Formats: sequence, structure tokens, C-alpha cells
Amino acid sequence: MDETVDTPSAILASAAALLQQRTFEDVTYLDLSEASGVSERTIYRRFPTRSHLLESLARWIEAEHFPVPEFRTPAEFREAMRARFHAFEATPAYAFVAARGASLSPTAEAAETPLTAAIASMVTAAAPSLNRRDALRITAAVRCFASPLFWARMRTGFDMSADEIFEAFDAALRSVLPAASTAARAA
Amino acid sequence: MSDPGSAGELSTTQTAILSAYSELIEEVGTDDVSFRLIAARAGVGERTVFRYYPARVDLLLATSAWIERTVFSRPESESIFDVPLAIREAMEAYDRRPELAYVVAEAAMRGVNGAEPAPHRDRFEPMLRREVPSLDAQERRRIVASLCHLDSAATWVTMRRELGMSGRDIADAATWAAEAVLDPIRDRVG
Repeated sequence: MDETVDTPSAILASAAALLQQRTFEDVTYLDLSEASGVSERTIYRRFPTRSHLLESLARWIEAEHFPVPEFRTPAEFREAMRARFHAFEATPAYAFVAARGASLSPTAEAAETPLTAAIASMVTAAAPSLNRRDALRITAAVRCFASPLFWARMRTGFDMSADEIFEAFDAALRSVLPAASTAARAA
Repeated sequence: MSDPGSAGELSTTQTAILSAYSELIEEVGTDDVSFRLIAARAGVGERTVFRYYPARVDLLLATSAWIERTVFSRPESESIFDVPLAIREAMEAYDRRPELAYVVAEAAMRGVNGAEPAPHRDRFEPMLRREVPSLDAQERRRIVASLCHLDSAATWVTMRRELGMSGRDIADAATWAAEAVLDPIRDRVG
């Protein structure tokens, strides 16, 4: 297969398909080459280490399987997160890989994900007069609870279902986000 | 190793292997470290490493647990309301050893036996039960869950990766968030 702009996507799609049968550790570059029709050499060039592969795969899985619908208000955000936790529960193998990839030492200049930008906009809209420092820490805290890392910890550490994880998320959200409206009223 | 998380049972050889791997992680990352290199650094044979840790995941989980207990160890909180301060110290510690923080964060996400996704749960729950007995089981579980997540390398990693925050800002934000989680129950102490 000639190398085209779609080559990385083809490799990542093959990797994701293989994840339905085995763990990430058991997916070799040779397997990927056979499944995608891309030469092993090209795969190594695109993903020099398995960390590169895992990080890109996590990003691809987030975009393809767990896209977050547009939200502007905390209410829309809650519904988006409820759906997200249910999507994670429906395909746990993908959600765990998303969580692992999002916790790696970055292999490339990491740009913030669309979800982070959307949360920042929501926080600013909910409390426009908030100073930058307060807005940042609210955004950061909310982002942590919206992450597949939170889902994975709740599932393996607390045996929670998607509904229970959403309830835990929602309790945390109400703790950190009302602070935004209180701060706005006080300002 | 069926239980890489258990403390206090490591042989000198195991400690040498785990500390060798954690040194190499900081020098060259997790990927490019062969068992041969780890064995050489630890001063043991490669077969010895395989005997203790047949697969890389066994070695990784054991190393992560060892890093949590040694590099990132800290005094236990006496009160649930001291946890935000412990979280500040934890975030500062992660920031001093970022490569180890990433490893600990990722190892907890494996979803397999031996990963320790909520190591502080067993301490937080009894403290909260004792200090705020009027909480029902569900409320208590949610608060413990939130605090466990904030009190983890995952929080440092997410704030660093997603928001590009400095160590100081991460410590500030995580501490603040833990205070916010505890605020609604402060007047229910007793």
C-alpha cells in the first residue's frame, strides 16, 4: 500500500479492530501490518515506539467512538457525560485504551483536546466575571472528572456501573461548578 | 507475581529489580527498556527477572506499586479534612518526578488484577464514617470516589497534558477541588 495521508488512520483502525479480540499488549506491529496492508517499516516510521502507537490510538478511539456532542450549558454537558460513560461501558476495551493513552508521558506536542476547550468555554459562559485563575482551576477539575481515567478508576476501584459513575461525576460537578455561579454573583 | 501491590514482602533481589526499572524509566522511558538492561542495572541475571516477573505487565504493575510506596509515599492523613493538604503534597511530588507520575497513572488504568486504581479508598472510607456519621452510604461513596480520583497521578497527568498547567497551578487546583468536594459536609461533622 502506498503511503497516503490516510495511512495512519488505516493502521489505527486495524489496531482498534484487533482490540476486540486481544489486549493492546498482544497486538504486534506484524499483526498490524497484516491487518492494514501497510508495511511494518511504515508502521515503525509512523509510530516509533508502542507509546506513540498507544497515544495515537487513544486519540483516534476518542474521536471515532466517543465523540462528545456540542454543549454550551452545564445541563447539556451533564447529558453529554451521561452518554459518554454509557458508551465507555458498552465498549470497555476501547475505554481502557483511551484512559491509558491519555495518561502517557506525551510523545508529541500535546494539543488540548476539543473536550477541554468546550469545558473551558462552558465555565466561562456560566461565570463570565470569574478571574482567569479561578476559571482555570474549575475547568481543570471538571476535566479530570470527565476523563476516561475517572471512568476506569470508578469501574475497577469501586465496581461502579455507568449510572453510578455518572452519579459520582455529577456530585463532583455540583461541588466544583456551583462555585462558578457563586463567584459570579459575588463579583 | 499474583499480587504486585502487597507491601513488605519484597526480597532484596526484587527491590533491586524494581528500583533499576524505575531508574531506567526516568532515563529512557518505559518502552525502550529491555529485560536485559534491567537485569544488568539490578546486578542480577535476566532469568531472575523473568522468574519474578514473567510478563512485562507484571513488572510494570509491581514497579508502579513500589514507586507509590517509596518515591510518592507520604504521611497518612488523620482526618478526611486534611486530605486536601495531602493532595497538594502528592501533586508537588508528582511534579518533581514526572516520568514516574505518568507510569503510576497509566499502570492504574490497566483494568487488570494487580492494578491499584483507588489505593486510598480503604483509609478514606473509615475516616469519613467516623467524622461525618450522618452521611448515607451512597453520599459517602461518592465523596470517597471523588477524593480518590483527585488524590492520584491521573489528576496531575490530566491537568498537565490537557491544560498545560505548571506544578504549582496543578497543586492549587487539585487542593481547591478537594476542598470543594468536602465543603458541603463541613457543617455535618459530629
